Amino acid sequence: MFDSILIANRGEIACRVIRTARNLGLRAIAVYHHEDRHAPHVALADVAVELTADVPTAGYLDISQLLDIAQAQGAQCIHPGYGFLSENARFAEAVEKAGLAFVGPQSEVIRLMGDKIHSREFAVRAGVPVSPSVTQDGDLEVFVEQAAKIGFPLLIKAAAGGGGKGMSIVRSIDELAARARTAMGEAERYFADGRVYAERYIERPRHIEVQVMGDGQGKVVHLYERECSVQRRFQKIIEESPAPDLAADLRDRICTAAVELAASANYRNAGTVEFILAPDGEFYFLEMNTRLQVEHPVTEMVCGVDLVEAQLRVAAGLGLPWTQEQIRQRGHAIECRICCEEPEHDFRPATGVAQLLRVPEGEGVRFDGGIRQGQAITAAFDSMIGKLVCYGANRAAAIDGIVRALDEFVLLGVSNNIDYLGAVLRHPVFRAGHLHTGFVVEHAADLVAPALDETDRAALLIAAALGVRDFRRLVYDTPEPYASIGAWRN
Amino acid sequence: MALEYIFNLDGTDHGVSIAARNPELVLTVDGVAHQVRESSALNDECALLTVDGRSYQVWRTWESNRIHLRIGNRSFSIGYEDAITAAQHHAGGDDTLRADMPGVVVGINAKVGASVVTGDVLIVIESMKMQINIVAPRDGTVEAVYVDINQTFDKGAQLISLHAES
Amino acid sequence: MPRIQSTIQTGSAEFRRYYAHNRGLARELHEKQRAARFDRPQKDIERLANHGKMMPRERIEKLLDPGTPFLELSTLCANMAYDGEAPSASVVTGIGMVQGREVIINANDSSIKGGAWYPLTVKKIVRVLDMAIENHLPVIHLCDSAGGFLPLQSELFPDKYMAGRMFRNQSILSKMNVKQLALVFGHCTAGGAYIPALSDYSVIVRGTGAVFLAGPPLVKAATGEIVTADELGGCDLHTQVSGTCDYPASTEEEAIAIGREIVAQWEQTPKWNLQRDAVEPPYYDPDELYGIIPDDIKRSFEMREVIARIVDGSQFHEYQPAYGTTLVCGYANIWGFKVGILANNGVLFNDSALKGAHFIELCNQNNTPIVFLQNITGYMVGREYEARGISKDGAKMIMAQVGSHVPKFTVMCHGSFGAGNYGMCGRAYDSRMLFSWPNHNIGIMGGEQAAKTLSEVKLRQLERRGEKVEQSELDRVYRETLEAYQHQMSAYYATSELWDDGIVDPIDTRNALGMSISAALNAPLGAQGYGIFRF
Repeated sequence: MFDSILIANRGEIACRVIRTARNLGLRAIAVYHHEDRHAPHVALADVAVELTADVPTAGYLDISQLLDIAQAQGAQCIHPGYGFLSENARFAEAVEKAGLAFVGPQSEVIRLMGDKIHSREFAVRAGVPVSPSVTQDGDLEVFVEQAAKIGFPLLIKAAAGGGGKGMSIVRSIDELAARARTAMGEAERYFADGRVYAERYIERPRHIEVQVMGDGQGKVVHLYERECSVQRRFQKIIEESPAPDLAADLRDRICTAAVELAASANYRNAGTVEFILAPDGEFYFLEMNTRLQVEHPVTEMVCGVDLVEAQLRVAAGLGLPWTQEQIRQRGHAIECRICCEEPEHDFRPATGVAQLLRVPEGEGVRFDGGIRQGQAITAAFDSMIGKLVCYGANRAAAIDGIVRALDEFVLLGVSNNIDYLGAVLRHPVFRAGHLHTGFVVEHAADLVAPALDETDRAALLIAAALGVRDFRRLVYDTPEPYASIGAWRN
Repeated sequence: MALEYIFNLDGTDHGVSIAARNPELVLTVDGVAHQVRESSALNDECALLTVDGRSYQVWRTWESNRIHLRIGNRSFSIGYEDAITAAQHHAGGDDTLRADMPGVVVGINAKVGASVVTGDVLIVIESMKMQINIVAPRDGTVEAVYVDINQTFDKGAQLISLHAES
Repeated sequence: MPRIQSTIQTGSAEFRRYYAHNRGLARELHEKQRAARFDRPQKDIERLANHGKMMPRERIEKLLDPGTPFLELSTLCANMAYDGEAPSASVVTGIGMVQGREVIINANDSSIKGGAWYPLTVKKIVRVLDMAIENHLPVIHLCDSAGGFLPLQSELFPDKYMAGRMFRNQSILSKMNVKQLALVFGHCTAGGAYIPALSDYSVIVRGTGAVFLAGPPLVKAATGEIVTADELGGCDLHTQVSGTCDYPASTEEEAIAIGREIVAQWEQTPKWNLQRDAVEPPYYDPDELYGIIPDDIKRSFEMREVIARIVDGSQFHEYQPAYGTTLVCGYANIWGFKVGILANNGVLFNDSALKGAHFIELCNQNNTPIVFLQNITGYMVGREYEARGISKDGAKMIMAQVGSHVPKFTVMCHGSFGAGNYGMCGRAYDSRMLFSWPNHNIGIMGGEQAAKTLSEVKLRQLERRGEKVEQSELDRVYRETLEAYQHQMSAYYATSELWDDGIVDPIDTRNALGMSISAALNAPLGAQGYGIFRF
């Protein structure tokens, strides 16, 4: 095992990695931008070195600076966390070239999985189901003919696109040509690239992903699946394991497909294979994330493992810590992402100072956090400030536990989604396990905070008034006999 | 009507005042009386509040013009303005800007009829070898500019005025 | 302390008759107060509103700490003067709380003749500033006055206790470190200009507030200069150029908010540390006072029944319960404050006068404030009592009372006639506060005695001149004297002339005294010592 590690990240994941590293006796070296100088990962590490950059995120993306610090501090390996440089093949190469271990996959695997088209082709070759699609790059008639073969409904997308531009759902052959033309026109206008492609449009899909772990020597195991269907603005907010109501054979098939894909790539490190699960039970490969995932704690809790420890063992060449047979899924775990945002305003990010932070406690509750009370939440970094995870003997118990923990969670001074998450978790349809990626949009009306009744509103305003020093002084420091005589007039 | 403290919840102003302190605390919200009991705070930030017999655990922090609370397992942020600022927001501020000392006008940015926001530099004067910016003390519209460039003036001279606001 | 044992029969015909009578008087009082406070011609109310001005009592409500009392003083001052043209003498005065500090408020009422000062206005302001001096109470002036009422200038301008005394008192207050704040809502004309100028802090409202020694008409008459009020003495002139006022405000609300914040900066000076116990309301319902006070000035009543409905827990430690029984003396608490009480239970004899003088000395020895509850027809007259020295015994009571270094408070509970008024700390004797009940009568002697005395004098006069004595002439003297006395003896006449600090509903006596005692504690106790007692 290594004896020192540099964590090229910040926030909750840096804290998470530092803790395991220290458990294993490694010297933890943190990096931070000036803006993060009061962040907890700085205090938690054995050493913290400042990064210089005008833009805060640029510091954490500065490969040469990170390597200089790693070498100066004598780090033996670098853990990239998630985001930032975690899926940057150039960084992985540079780390290894500098003679340090990269706690992640081989750079060529990062590169392969980072390319949407190549990874889909790779998945097809590995025998993993990929949703059928056809690309229009010439004759419109041929495209229409081929697309019709996939079956309706179809989703037409711009090949170079994003943000919904040039995107269109087509439900019958009659409208296909016209819609394709419109999409091509839009694609041309927005992206200067008129190519579009059509793929099977799956209504009410679920997002199911499989945690895998490979040793880079051909051995790959899975740690079962996670359900990540509850998303807002295409980002996960609630994840759980196991996926509710997933038939055992379907679970096996999905997990096996994930292992086969990773094994085909001779995968090293922890990784996640993401699938779309259609209501008819068909599932399709979406992408593979070649890093530790945000939502890894739910897997850790149901499988009783430490994925960061496993990552470090593999990176140190010590092999996988478990065989497939040793991995058991037990109970249920749910995670929700605590984000500083305004759910009532389309989840726009919020800034402010975390003036009061009280993290819930109790049996089965885990909080992976990355802020301290008094810390400013700025627009410089991601709005997620931590993850609340709860374990229960079964799904109902896990939901009860996390709902209680959310109620207990106090984060004041910056808008956040704690109450919104509570509303989702309390929703009867969520409780029943009927999930799909459009869940929060479908139930948006139910997830709006209910109006306060008169007493509750009065209590709120009174509580606010009693929080203002001037008003409080008037209430409590009025001398006698004035206080007792009251608003008497003669 | 008695003095009220104004709090803004979701864009709406509410007035909170004190009707009685003894033998029971009675506070009014928008003129409606409520019986209030606040237990000695559990700690610095947390109190137990009873309003009309309903109990609430309240976590609370205060910054200059906002109160953040968690009450009944929900978080809220409530706007608050001290009485002077609140009164100013309901009316205009200074109308005429005058020279604090004699000097000469070296720059005029303000145009009659132009809207200005608080802090806009309206005129630059030079006095005792110092250049001084005359800035808009409030949002408003320029009513008149009383001086020309290079004009000298005495202490107390009118320099510029803003339209009175209702 | 034992509780007074009440012997009132609330079911008796007498109680019910008295109750109906006194409730009626209280209702009449409240109606007169309401009218004095709020009844104004619609055009005057609209004129104020059009200028963005509040009525003076609205301003006061916004200035005071919410949920705290306001003791308005002499609301019915001038109610029988100037043909009723100047309700409350066009000024609101009182004691209230701003930012936890007791303050005196002096607010012009510009809904009455532009807030012009009548002679009684000046008398009322001088009185309230005297009160500030006596009790070391900060003053907040709410200025909005056209200046002296010129037709009556000779009655308000030249003498010692007239207009100049206001500014003299302001200067004395400032010298004493007792703070003053002026909120200039309207005009401060002529002498009125000195109110903000002599205040330690001042706020002026832009557009409506103005301070000048002479208003635009007088300036035009004097120099021919034509100038608007705002140019002459408006907010910007005084806050930016002249420095006469300190803080500009855009609205009355802002001026009040600034004023409250200024008061919040003031040091809180420690009060005199009078023994204060936990408060207990009276055991007997103060409402029963209405059934205790007789409906006839000549009828006597038991003052202990009154004490029982004013003091904490109706508890009373009576001093010399068996001696000089026409004067009830003893200790009690009012709103927790320890006080000594002297209350009349009949005419003052030698023994009751000596008891009173002694008890006053005890209160001074003990640093206990004294409350006088007056219902007095005088000291006993006649040869026997003169022979026993009733004059020198009465003089001892006055000497002790005047020499007191503890604060004194007086309530006119019923009659106050003759020298009894002196011994029992009447208006001339510097009570920190003197309140009357609506049933109160006051005079050098009773109306009937005066009428009898004067018709007797007339008879002798006529006999001396050897003229024929017509009974009808004697009857006319009797009737006219009685009518004049009755008019001038009433509580409303007394309060109109500012012989008191206001009429209070009997059930409000406890609150009024509580606030008065609390106010008095702001001034340190003076030095102990008396003049010569004639033994």
